[in-house]
Formats: sequence, structure tokens, C-alpha cells
Amino acid sequence: MSYTIPTISPYTPEISLLVAVVLIFLLDVAGVKSRILLGGATSLFLLLAFLEVLADLGTWPLQGLSTLPSGYLGTLQGPVIFTSFGLIFQGIFLAVALIVGFASISDPDEEGAPTFYALLTLAAIGMLFVAVSADLILLLLSIEITGIATYALVGYTRRDRRALEAAMKFYIIGALSTAISFFGASLLYGAYGTTQLSAFSTLPANHELALMGFGMVAAGLAFKATLVPFHMWAVDVYDGAGPNVAGFLSGGSKKMGLFALFVVFVAAVRVFGAAEGYVLFLALGSLAVITMTLGNVLALEQKTMKRMLAYSSIAQAGYMLLGVAIDTPAALAGATLQITADVLMKTGAFVVVGAAASLGIGPLITDYKGLGHSRPGISASFAIMLLSLAGMPLTLGFVGKFYLFFAAVEAPGYFILLAIAGLLNSAISVFYYARILRLMYMPDDSKAPASDGHSLTHSTLGSATGPATPRWASLRSEITAVGTARWITIVSVAVLLVLFGIYPTTLVGAMNSAAQQFWTIGF
Amino acid sequence: MIPLDELLVFSGLLFSIGIFGVLTRRNFIMLLISVEIIMNSAILNFVTFSAYSPSSSVAQAVSGQGIAVVLIGLAATEVALGLAIVLALNRIIGSVDVAKAMELRL
Repeated sequence: MSYTIPTISPYTPEISLLVAVVLIFLLDVAGVKSRILLGGATSLFLLLAFLEVLADLGTWPLQGLSTLPSGYLGTLQGPVIFTSFGLIFQGIFLAVALIVGFASISDPDEEGAPTFYALLTLAAIGMLFVAVSADLILLLLSIEITGIATYALVGYTRRDRRALEAAMKFYIIGALSTAISFFGASLLYGAYGTTQLSAFSTLPANHELALMGFGMVAAGLAFKATLVPFHMWAVDVYDGAGPNVAGFLSGGSKKMGLFALFVVFVAAVRVFGAAEGYVLFLALGSLAVITMTLGNVLALEQKTMKRMLAYSSIAQAGYMLLGVAIDTPAALAGATLQITADVLMKTGAFVVVGAAASLGIGPLITDYKGLGHSRPGISASFAIMLLSLAGMPLTLGFVGKFYLFFAAVEAPGYFILLAIAGLLNSAISVFYYARILRLMYMPDDSKAPASDGHSLTHSTLGSATGPATPRWASLRSEITAVGTARWITIVSVAVLLVLFGIYPTTLVGAMNSAAQQFWTIGF
Repeated sequence: MIPLDELLVFSGLLFSIGIFGVLTRRNFIMLLISVEIIMNSAILNFVTFSAYSPSSSVAQAVSGQGIAVVLIGLAATEVALGLAIVLALNRIIGSVDVAKAMELRL
């Protein structure tokens, strides 16, 4: 085996983040606890890394996204490979970290600020390596680096009982799934004699051993991706963790699991699919349908906002799994689009829940009643996110679902059934998203005496001052109440959703060519 | 030399013991140990397959042992964090019993 020392350039995003972590630790030692300073520095470094990834893609300044360069792309460097598909996912992961990091500047100041930002950045570093690994062991190790950082992130305050309980559940499930994945990887090592992902595009001599290994790796990754038989933990963990952390888990760590599933299985599914006939596709397809249906149906009957969002997050994972279940590059591109959309809308929605909590609004869905009248800015943004989650046109959520279902219709065989199941599920999901919209914007009857104190005082206060003072004044009071950074994050996420929803061409072009390239490289 | 089959059966048994422990135990420390047993069965597998590797490339054959060393480090890291979480939880609910931490079901 010959070692080539890779050039430093492709690793600049990771190095920038490592510098950020060291800087945060040094600031912590120096006694700096200010969220504005720490969060600002972290966000700057994350933004820098994001721009570096864009530059790596050859897309800076943001034009010609559809023509990706070759350069070092696609050449194997030890256990690392840079593909445009992986780089796009690096961008996605950094976007999640950036949204969460910037929004958290407005969190109430507490002792844990340096810990929070250091862990967030460390988790982002792990994700960056997941996106470029060409070796199963590096892939699983990077997942576990992110995992360890996120287990700690859920319970980092160490005082909140619910958060600690969530951290404990997340830890047990995460460690168990990693151990199972590694056991599967050891079987694959036995079957193939190597752990290079490129080796998995051939049928090994010991067919059964490899199939068992793939099954176990898949089970471990399915835990991370919250696919249905392995989804039970997600709701409790998202519920117990702080809203911003929940957004990071749902937007980042779950997408990491899905990406790993794509990377490991796109080649393997084809090889074993050819050997076993349609059984494997049937299994993956029905898993996707079961995941989306169960997530949507259970979301219907939730009473608290966070649990509803958690179940809808599980349902979204079902849509994205279609990317591997349908055996075409178009489906993979559609799934990537859907992942991009979900990162924005789901992380954004969790940030809104955090903002609502800082306004004194309770955890129940009914507590959001009348929010549209008292807090116009964040309600409008939240409405856009919910419409996008429901897959309404003119939002990025529609674009993702459109390309995904279109790929299912175009694919040969019975994949059209998957498109029908997906459409039916979208219809179900409209019910619970529309319920929130109706609650937020229904005619204001909150003049009635407030029955349960805290949650209603704010909405009555807002509606009382609303008509009397000009709109801008109420918007300004909203910004100060929510926190400037958090408000900016929420509104810009909503703007991005609409912007990409109206002009999806560049994004779609980039996803398509990346998925094509990924398809031809073979892993 | 021990036959390959026996080593694989042994690691399979370890794996089953670990899974059984995770499913039945309610003590957080016991859960930690069970997860570690599963991890150890994976490590044992890597070493076994490395020792019996038919590959002519030495680097490929030895890589399993390298992976084993890395995994031992990973397992230690995981346990350190797990113990930190259980300590913090014990300080609040005064128990390491997983069944006592069930507030989130409500």
C-alpha cells in the first residue's frame, strides 16, 4: 500500500473548525463566558468552513453550480475520498451547525456556553469526516465522534432532569447502535478482507456473511436515521433536549445517518439486488413506507409541539429513504434535495419552538393560539416552515418531494407505488400542519380572561398593543423579546425556503450532477 | 491454532450475551457493561478475521488488528462519557436505575 500525502487544501474546513474548538477552550480558560463572543466566533468559523466547502465545490462565487470540476474530486486519498456528493453534504451539515450555533447566541446566558459551542463544533467536525470517508471504519468512527459530542450536548447543562434523561437514553441507544454497526463491519471485513467501501460493489465469495454484515450495519445506521423499527428513542430525546439541540439532532445527526446509509448501500443494494432479485428493494421500499406512515399517523395525535415535530421528523426520514429504495440517481438527487429542505425547515421549526419558549409560550400546540396576531415576524416564518414541511408549492419542501416522487414514477418496475404512498402521506401530514396554522391565525378571541396565566398573558399583551401602535414597533418589541440572533436566524431560514422554492434550478442542477457522479464512482 | 469456527462462535456468543443484557438489565452500569461486551465481540471478530486472512497483501491482513486497537480506544471514550452522564443523573434522581428515569413518557 502506497501512501500519498494529500494536499492541505481539501481539509481546510475541518482545520478551521479544529482551530475554532481550540479557540473556544482557550477563551473558556481565560474566563470568557459571553454567548455573544463565543457564539459569534463559532458562527464565523462555521461560516468560513461553509464558504471553504463551496469553494472546494468550485461553486464560489455561487455560479455554475451545475458544472462541477474534477480536480481532486473523486480521487482516493487513503481512507478519504472527496466527491461532489460528499462535499454537498459537508455544506448541509455545516449549514445545520451554523443555524443552531447562531440562533443559540440568544439563549439565556449560563455557565455552559463554552461547553455548548465546543461540543457543537466537535460534532460538526465528525460530520465533515462522515461526508468524505471512503472506508467503513472511518465512516463509523466519524459517526461516533459526532455521536459522543451530541450525547454530551443533549445533557450539557447537567441540572435539567429531563435533558439528562434524554442524554441517557440517547447515549444507550447510540452506543448500542454503534456497537452493532461495528459488529456488522467486522463481518464485512471477514467477507471482503478489506473495509474499503469501493470493495462492496462486488459480490464476495462468502455471500451470506456479507449479507449478515450489511444487515447489522444497516440496523445500526437505521437507529441514527430514526427509521421505523428503530425510532422509539427519537421522540423522547428530541422532547427532553433543549430546542436548539433538538434541531441539531434532527437536522444534523439524523441526516448523517441517512448519508451513511446512502454511501454504504447504494453499491451494495445494486449488487445484492441483482443476486437476490427484488426482495431487497421490496424490503427497503416497505421500510420507507412504514416509516413515513407511522411517523405521520402518530404525529396527528400529539399534543406538544416538540413531540409533533419529532414524529414529523421520523416521517421525513421515510421520504428520504426512498433515495436508496428506488434504484436510480434521480431518486438520490431527489432525496438530497429533500434532505436540504428538511435541514432548513425542521431545524428552523425547532429554533422557533425555542423562541416561543423564550416568549413564555408553553409546550402545548394549543399554546400557540393567536401567535400570528401578537408576533407577526416569527409566526409568518413558522408558517412558511410548516407549509414547506407539508410540501406546499413555492417552498423548497415542495421541490424536494416533487423530484423524489417524480423519480419514483419514472423508475421502471413497481416503484410508482412508492410515489402513491408518499403522496397519500403528504396528504395526511397536511392535517396536523394546517391545524397549527389555523390556531396561529384564527380570529383573535383572546380578550376573554386568561385562564392559565403565563401562556396567555403574552398573547393578550401583544394583541392589546398590536392595533394601537404601528406595525414596526410591535416587530421591534418582538425582536428584543426573542433575541436578535435567533430572530435573524428564523427569518432568514424562512426566506431561504421561499427563495429556493421559487428558483430551485441551481440547487437541482447541483444535486443532479452530484448524484450522477456519485452513482458512476460506485460508492 | 484454534479453529476459525470456534472463535466466531465465541464472539457470536459474546454478542448474544451483550444483547440479552441490554434487553433485560435496568441498571445503567449493567447496560454500559453489556454494550461493552458487544463492542468486544466486534473487536474479537476483527482480530480473528485478521489472523485468518487469506489475503496476500500484508497491509490488508494486518488492518484488522489496527482497527481493533482503535476500537478499544473508542470503547474507553464511550464509557468515560457514559459514566459522566450516569453520575450527573445519579446526583439528581439518586439512582442508577433506568426505570426511575421515565419522566419523558408523559
